[in-house]
Amino acid sequence: MKNNKLSHRVLQSSITSVLAALLCIVIGMAVGFLVLLAINPAHAWGDGFVRILKGGFYDAPYGVGKMLANAAPLVMTGLSVGFAFKTGLFNIGAAGQYTLGAYGALYCAIMLKLPWFVCLLVAAILGGIWGAIPGFFKAYFNINEVITSIMFNWIGLYLVNELVYQNGTGPMYDVRNTRTLNLGKSADYAQSIIPDFGLNKLFQTNSTTIAIFLAAIVAVLIWVVLNKTTFGYELKAVGLNKSAARYAGINEKKNIILSMAIAGALSGFGAGLFYLSNVGQWNPLNSTSLPAMGFNGISVALLASSNPIGTIFSAIFISHISVGGTFLSTKYYPTEIADLISGIIIYLCAFSMLFRGKIQKMLFKNADKTNVNAEPAPAEKANAKKEGK
Amino acid sequence: MAEDFVIEMLHITKEFPGIKANDDITLQLRKGEVHALLGENGAGKSTLMSVLFGLYQPEEGKILKNGKEVAIRNPNDANALGIGMVHQHFKLVECFSVLDNIILGVEPNKLGFLQKAEARKKVMALSEKYGLRVDPDALISDISVGMQQRVEILKMLYRDNEILIFDEPTAVLTPQEIDELMEIMRGFKKEGKSILFITHKLNEIMAVADRCTVLRKGKYMGTVDIKDTTKEELSRMMVGRDVQLQVDKKPAKPGKVVLDVENVTMQSPQHKKDAVRNVSFQVHAGEIVCLAGIEGNGQTEFIYGLTGLEKINGGKIMLDGKDITSESIRQRSKDGMSHIPEDRHKHGLVLDYSLENNIVLQRYWQPEFQKNGFIRSDKVREYSDRLIQQYDVRSGQGSSTIVRSMSGGNQQKAIIAREIDKDPTLLVAVQPTRGLDVGAIEYIHRQIVAERDKGKAVLLVSLELDEVMNLSDRILVMYEGEIVGEFDPKTTTVQELGLYMAGARKQGKGE
Amino acid sequence: MLLLIKYTLLYGIVLMLVALGGMFSEHSGIINIALEGIMVIGGVAGVLTLTMLPSSMSPALVVLISILVAALAGVVYSLLLAFASINLKADQTIGGTALNLLATAIAVVIAKYFSDSGSAKLNYSNKAFLFSIGGLELSVFVPLGIVLLVISYIVLYKTRFGLRLRACGEHPQAADSVGINVYKMRYAGVLISGALGAIGGMAYIVPPVQTWNFEVGVAGAGFLAMAVMIFGQWKPFNICAAAMFFAVFKSLANIADSTFLAQFHWSSNIYNMMPFIASMIILAFTSKNSMAPKAEGIPYDKGSR
Repeated sequence: MKNNKLSHRVLQSSITSVLAALLCIVIGMAVGFLVLLAINPAHAWGDGFVRILKGGFYDAPYGVGKMLANAAPLVMTGLSVGFAFKTGLFNIGAAGQYTLGAYGALYCAIMLKLPWFVCLLVAAILGGIWGAIPGFFKAYFNINEVITSIMFNWIGLYLVNELVYQNGTGPMYDVRNTRTLNLGKSADYAQSIIPDFGLNKLFQTNSTTIAIFLAAIVAVLIWVVLNKTTFGYELKAVGLNKSAARYAGINEKKNIILSMAIAGALSGFGAGLFYLSNVGQWNPLNSTSLPAMGFNGISVALLASSNPIGTIFSAIFISHISVGGTFLSTKYYPTEIADLISGIIIYLCAFSMLFRGKIQKMLFKNADKTNVNAEPAPAEKANAKKEGK
Repeated sequence: MAEDFVIEMLHITKEFPGIKANDDITLQLRKGEVHALLGENGAGKSTLMSVLFGLYQPEEGKILKNGKEVAIRNPNDANALGIGMVHQHFKLVECFSVLDNIILGVEPNKLGFLQKAEARKKVMALSEKYGLRVDPDALISDISVGMQQRVEILKMLYRDNEILIFDEPTAVLTPQEIDELMEIMRGFKKEGKSILFITHKLNEIMAVADRCTVLRKGKYMGTVDIKDTTKEELSRMMVGRDVQLQVDKKPAKPGKVVLDVENVTMQSPQHKKDAVRNVSFQVHAGEIVCLAGIEGNGQTEFIYGLTGLEKINGGKIMLDGKDITSESIRQRSKDGMSHIPEDRHKHGLVLDYSLENNIVLQRYWQPEFQKNGFIRSDKVREYSDRLIQQYDVRSGQGSSTIVRSMSGGNQQKAIIAREIDKDPTLLVAVQPTRGLDVGAIEYIHRQIVAERDKGKAVLLVSLELDEVMNLSDRILVMYEGEIVGEFDPKTTTVQELGLYMAGARKQGKGE
Repeated sequence: MLLLIKYTLLYGIVLMLVALGGMFSEHSGIINIALEGIMVIGGVAGVLTLTMLPSSMSPALVVLISILVAALAGVVYSLLLAFASINLKADQTIGGTALNLLATAIAVVIAKYFSDSGSAKLNYSNKAFLFSIGGLELSVFVPLGIVLLVISYIVLYKTRFGLRLRACGEHPQAADSVGINVYKMRYAGVLISGALGAIGGMAYIVPPVQTWNFEVGVAGAGFLAMAVMIFGQWKPFNICAAAMFFAVFKSLANIADSTFLAQFHWSSNIYNMMPFIASMIILAFTSKNSMAPKAEGIPYDKGSR
C-alpha cells in the first residue's frame, strides 16, 4: 500500500509536468501565430502556422529523417542541461562543450581516421573536460557556474575556430566551402561515419543514422544513474542541499566537478552524433555566435522538467518545429520564427513551476486525502520497466 | 469601555494554508504598561504581532487605536500609528552603517538627496537619552549582537513610536544584558510608552510585565495580572497541562574517556581573531557535557571542527583512543560519531528528499542498503518504516513524504532517530530543541538522557540556560572562542554562569 | 597608440554602460543575465530608428531620438524579466537565458522584415554619432557614458532611492519591514538596467560600422559586461576601471595587424579569447571576498518573512 502511495505521487507529478509543458507549448505556438499574422496576415495560416506545425511531415519522409537527425544531438544537449539541473547546477555551457565535442569528433575522423565509436568517445571526453572546468571553479573558488560556463563557451569557440582554421591553412579546413572537410565526400572517412542501417534509404536523406537511438539509450542510462544508484543519490543530494550532503560525508566538491564533467560529456557526445552523422560541417569563420544546439538544449531540458526520458520527446518536438521553420517560404517569413517560438517556450518554462502548482491544485485537490486505496497506478510501474529496458 | 487602551486587537483570525495561526484572539494594550504575550513556539505570537505591524492581513477581526478602528495594511501604516517593532531576527542590512539602517524608510531628504547630518543629531540625542550606546558609522556586520539590538530599538525611537513591540528580544542576550534591557523597558514605561513583550520565558515576564496574555496553538487562553499569578499558573495556561520543568535523571556514571580534545584552535573566516582558541576538554562515556555560551562565541565553529565540516588550524581530537584530527567526515561517522546539527534545514536534512532518503543519509553507502552501487530501495524502505515507528516520526505519507512538508518537531525527530540508531559512541547534539514545542522538547531530552544511560558520551551545545542546567552533568562555558570555566550544574547558578558567559569572569587554567 | 586609446574607449564605454545596468539590477536583488539580449534589442531598435529618421534632421536630434528609442525598447524588454522574476518568482537565470535567445530571434525577424535585401543586415549612417578631438575620433557615447557613470554613482550612494534600492538587494525583509515596496524597487532596478543595457547595445553597434547583421547579435559583450560588473565589485567607478581594463584586450585584436604585435602572427581568435580568459583568472582571485548583494537571485516572497 505504501508503494502505491509513492507511485501515485510520482504519477501525479509526471502528469502535471507533462500538462505544464503542453501549456507552455500551446501559449508559445499561439504567440508565434500572432507574430506570423503581424508579419504577413494573408499567409499566416496555411503557409505559416500549418507548416511549422507539420514540421518534418510537410516533406515526408525526407523531412522526418532530417528532424530525427537534428533531434539526436538535441536529446544529448537537453540531457546535459537536465542532468546538471538535477544536480543543482545550471549548465549554460552546453554550447561550449558541444563546440569542443565537435572538434574532438572531427579531429579523430579527419586527421586520425578512427572508427566512429572512438570518435564519439573522444568527443565526449573533450566535452567533459570543458564541463569540468566550470565545475572546478565552482567547487574550489565558489564562482557561479553560470558565469564561468558563459566565459568558457566563448573561449571554446575561439579556440576551436583557431585550431580548425589556422589562417586558412588548417588540414581539416576546406577552403572552397569555408567549412571543415565533408565526411561524406570521400571514402577515406567512411569508418568514421555513424552507421545508418538503411535509415538514409528509408528517409531519402544522407544524414539519418542510428544517432537518435544512441541518444535514447544514453537517456535511459542517465535515468538509471540518477534514480537507482548511490552515485545518483549523492549527486542529487549535493544538488538539493550542498551543506547537508557535506554533513553526510559526501565529497561535494568532487561531485560538483563530476556532475559538470558528465554534463559536458553528454554535450560533447551530442556534437559527435551531429558531425559524425554528417548532418553538417563546422564553420570556423563564424566567430560571433555559439552553436544553437547548446542553447536549445536548455529549452529541451526545461520542457521535459529535466526528466531524461521526457528529454527524448521534448527534443523531438523542438527539432520538429525548427525543421518546420526551415520549410517556411522565405518569400513570406524568416525561418527564425521557429527560434522565436522556442524562445517564448523557454521563457514560459521559466515559470512553469507556477503552472505546475496551479495544475496540481486543479487536478489533485483532494487526492492526498482520498488516495489511500485509490488508483493503484500499475501504469507507472509498467512505464518504469519500459524505461529500464 | 472605561479603560484606556491604546491598542485593541479584537477577535483576530489569521489562516495559512493548512493551519489557523490565530483563531479569534483578543489583545488589549493599556497606555504605559508592559504587556507580555506568552506562548510556545508555534502558538501564534509572531503571527499576531505581524498582523499588528501590517505584515499580514487578518481574515477576521479588527484593530482599534485609542478606541477608533484603524486599517494597517503595511508597516508604513503601523509606523504612522506610532507602532514599532524589534523583530526576533533583526531586520538590519549588514553592509550598511548603523545610521543608514536607522533612517532607512524615513530618510530625511531634499529632492530625494539624503540629508544625513540632521539624522545623525537626532540619533545621537536619543542614544544619549536612553543610554543606548551605538557607533553611528560602524557597519552592522562589525558590531555585537547586543549593539545590533540597540540599533533596532533606536529605529523605533527615531520614528517617534509610542507602541513598542519586542519579539523574543532576550534570546540572544546574556543574563546581565537581559537585566539591562528590562531596565530600558521600565524607562520607556515611565515615558508613557506602551510595550508589547513577546516571550516564552516566565522569569522575564514575572520580572518586568504588568499583565500577560497567553496563547496556545493559535487560541486565546486569557489575560492575567502578573501580581495575581504565579509562574506555575502561567506555564499551565501556556502548555495546557502541568509541565515537568525538571528532567528526571539518575546520577551519571562516567566511564572511560571517549572524546579527548586538546588545544583546538580555528581561524575565523571573517575576523582577524581566532574563532576557537586552545579548547581542551574530555567527555567520558555515560555523561552529558554541555558547552554553554552566548551565540557567536565559537561554539558553532568548534563543532564544525569537531565533526569535520571545517578544518582545524591547530590541536588534536581523539575519539575512543583514535586520532581523528584529519579524518574525513565519513570516517568520523564510521568511527562512531553522530551529529545532530545546529541547523536542521541547512545541514541536517535534504528537505526535498523523501523521509526514507533522509533516514539513510548517513548510511546509504553501507552494504545493507546498496549493491554494486545500486540502491536497494526495498531495504531502505524497510529500515525507514522501522525507525518511523520506533521513534514516532509523524508525516503525511510515511517513508515517501517529502521532508519539507513535515513539521519542525517531526523533522528533528527524524534526525534524532537517524543519529541515535547509528549506535554511536559519541553523540554530538547542537541545540537539539531549538524552535520546538514543549512536548517535543521533553521527548528529545528523554532520548538524550537515555543515550547517556546506555553508556554513550554526549556533547551538548545549548544556548538555553534552562536546558543547560537541566540536562547536563558538567557545564563548560565558552566565551570568545575559549573555555572560561567548568561547572557542576548542582552547585552553580544561572547568575554565575551568566557572568562567565559575558566574559566578566574567567577561571584559571585547569579545573 | 591613438588607435588603441580610441578602440579602448569605444569598447570600454560599452562594457561600462552595460555593466552599470547590471549593477542597478543586482543591487535591487535581480540577477540580470539577459543583458546580452537587452543589448541586441536596444541595438535593433536604435538602428531601425536611425534608418527611419529623415536625413534632413539635425544630427543632435537624430542622436537624441535614436538613443531614447533604444533605451525605451530596452526598458520594455526588461519588463519581461521583471515580470517573470518579481511577480512570478521564476528562476532569474533561466528567465534571463530565455530572453537572450528570444532577443536574437526577435532582432533577426525584425531586421529581415525591414531590410530591403531580405537578409538580417541593416544599413545606416553613423555620422551623427562621431566627433573628433585632436585626431582622436570618438563617439557621443563616450561623453554620454561618463555622464551616466557620475549620475549612477550619485543615485546609488547619495539619494534616498539608492539607499532603498541597495537595501532591497541586501535584505529585502528589512526593507519591507520599514515600509519600502520591494517589488517596486526591484522593478526600478531591472528597468534601469534595461535602459542602460540597451544604450550600451547601441553604443556597441553604431559607432564602428555602418551596416550590421543582426544574426550575430552582440557576440558575448553582454556576458563580458557581467564579468566586468563582478570584477568591479558592484561599484560604479570600479566598474569603469574594470571595463577599460577588459577593453584593452579587445582593442589589441583590432589593431594587431598594424602594429608591432603583428610579428607574433596571432590570429584574431587569440585576441578575442583574451578578455574572457582574463576575466576567469580575475574572478578566481577575487571570488573570496565578493561584495555581491546578498539577496540577489532570490525571489522575494511577501509570505516568507
